[in-house]
Amino acid sequence: MHISEGVLSAPVLASGAALAAAGTAIGLKKLDYDRVPQAGVLAAAFFVASLVHVPLGPSSVHLILNGLVGLLLGWVAFPAILVALVLQAVFFQFGGITTLGVNTLVMAMPAVMCYGVFGPWVYGESRFAMPAAFAAGFLSVFLGALVVGGALFFTHEDFWRVSAAVVAAHLPVMVVEGLITCSCVAFLKKVQPAMLPGYST
Amino acid sequence: MKALDFARWLCSGMLVGALALAAALPARAHRVTVFAWVEGDTVRTESRFSGGKAVNEGVVVVYDEQDRELLRGKTDENGEFSFEAPARTALKVVLEAGMGHKGEWIVPAEELAGVQAEAEEAPGPASPSPGRMEEGPSAKSEPEGATPTASLDAREIQSAMEKALDKKLAPVLKMLAEARREQGPSARDVFGGIGYILGLVGLGSYVHYRKKSGAPPS
Repeated sequence: MHISEGVLSAPVLASGAALAAAGTAIGLKKLDYDRVPQAGVLAAAFFVASLVHVPLGPSSVHLILNGLVGLLLGWVAFPAILVALVLQAVFFQFGGITTLGVNTLVMAMPAVMCYGVFGPWVYGESRFAMPAAFAAGFLSVFLGALVVGGALFFTHEDFWRVSAAVVAAHLPVMVVEGLITCSCVAFLKKVQPAMLPGYST
Repeated sequence: MKALDFARWLCSGMLVGALALAAALPARAHRVTVFAWVEGDTVRTESRFSGGKAVNEGVVVVYDEQDRELLRGKTDENGEFSFEAPARTALKVVLEAGMGHKGEWIVPAEELAGVQAEAEEAPGPASPSPGRMEEGPSAKSEPEGATPTASLDAREIQSAMEKALDKKLAPVLKMLAEARREQGPSARDVFGGIGYILGLVGLGSYVHYRKKSGAPPS
């Protein structure tokens, strides 16, 4: 999921950075103080999750957890993921500094989208809460793969081929992410419902 | 959020982090590296995802100093790709492993200079032929002219020595390649990163409490 340096063209990098900056600004505006520790903990979880390798894939893929981050943080996912990606780029050489904007977009935009679409279902008491949590974990990776395809398409590669390859490579991760998101949400609902945005006051 | 909640928060976060770390230790990182070295008049490249998995069917593109593309080829299932040095300049070997993965390696001109000079002096079997790109180690061109009856002049001795040295040094170069290939992130990196994030949270708290100074922590 991390796009390396030197792959994308300058316009793609610039627009990715601009969109990521906008998202981060919105996220910081929505971040009230009570949520700062939560954002920090989730940023740390996201930072470490990329080291958990899923051995099923045909390529080198790892957990992303952007769906979970999105469900728990909403727009704040942007600054949290940005911070974690900076640290991943510096410490692990995943992605790179110039591709930071695009990579933030790749992982944070689906997170926010899943928050918007599935959030109300997940926080509610209906029997769709768990399927919705699974879908949020699953689709946030899927949509991220589409964003990667789009970014590479505007540079040189064929959108459908790249997207299909990224989706195929991450299919096991999507399922695992869905299950993890599901179990995390179920656990939090029982133990610490204050962590879910719906309950926060 | 009460202070107790906050502490519970941090503890559960630490636990999650520690668990993830425990699961992560044998894990692989998410980047590719390519390493190239000169062996005889052949440049050999090896491409891997860091952690050791070979890049199969990755595209290797070779550029000269002026960024002109010289040749390209695909890695085999061991992540290896060899080609005969097409020019005497420094070479930039770029690996494109698809899905936005990319790595590069520079072969300095000095590494190639001796080889090429020798190749030009003794045209024939050792001359570079860019047409033969993907050939295995066995196909490496041997000096067929070095028959036992030929007199051992200085040039032949030199060429034989260079061949022998290349052969002896190959494992060493490979070992160097292994050593230079970065092993995945260390525990130090992981804890350093988590520390930075906690530090940012602390900074946020500091700014927050400074703003409403005097007010007791909620």
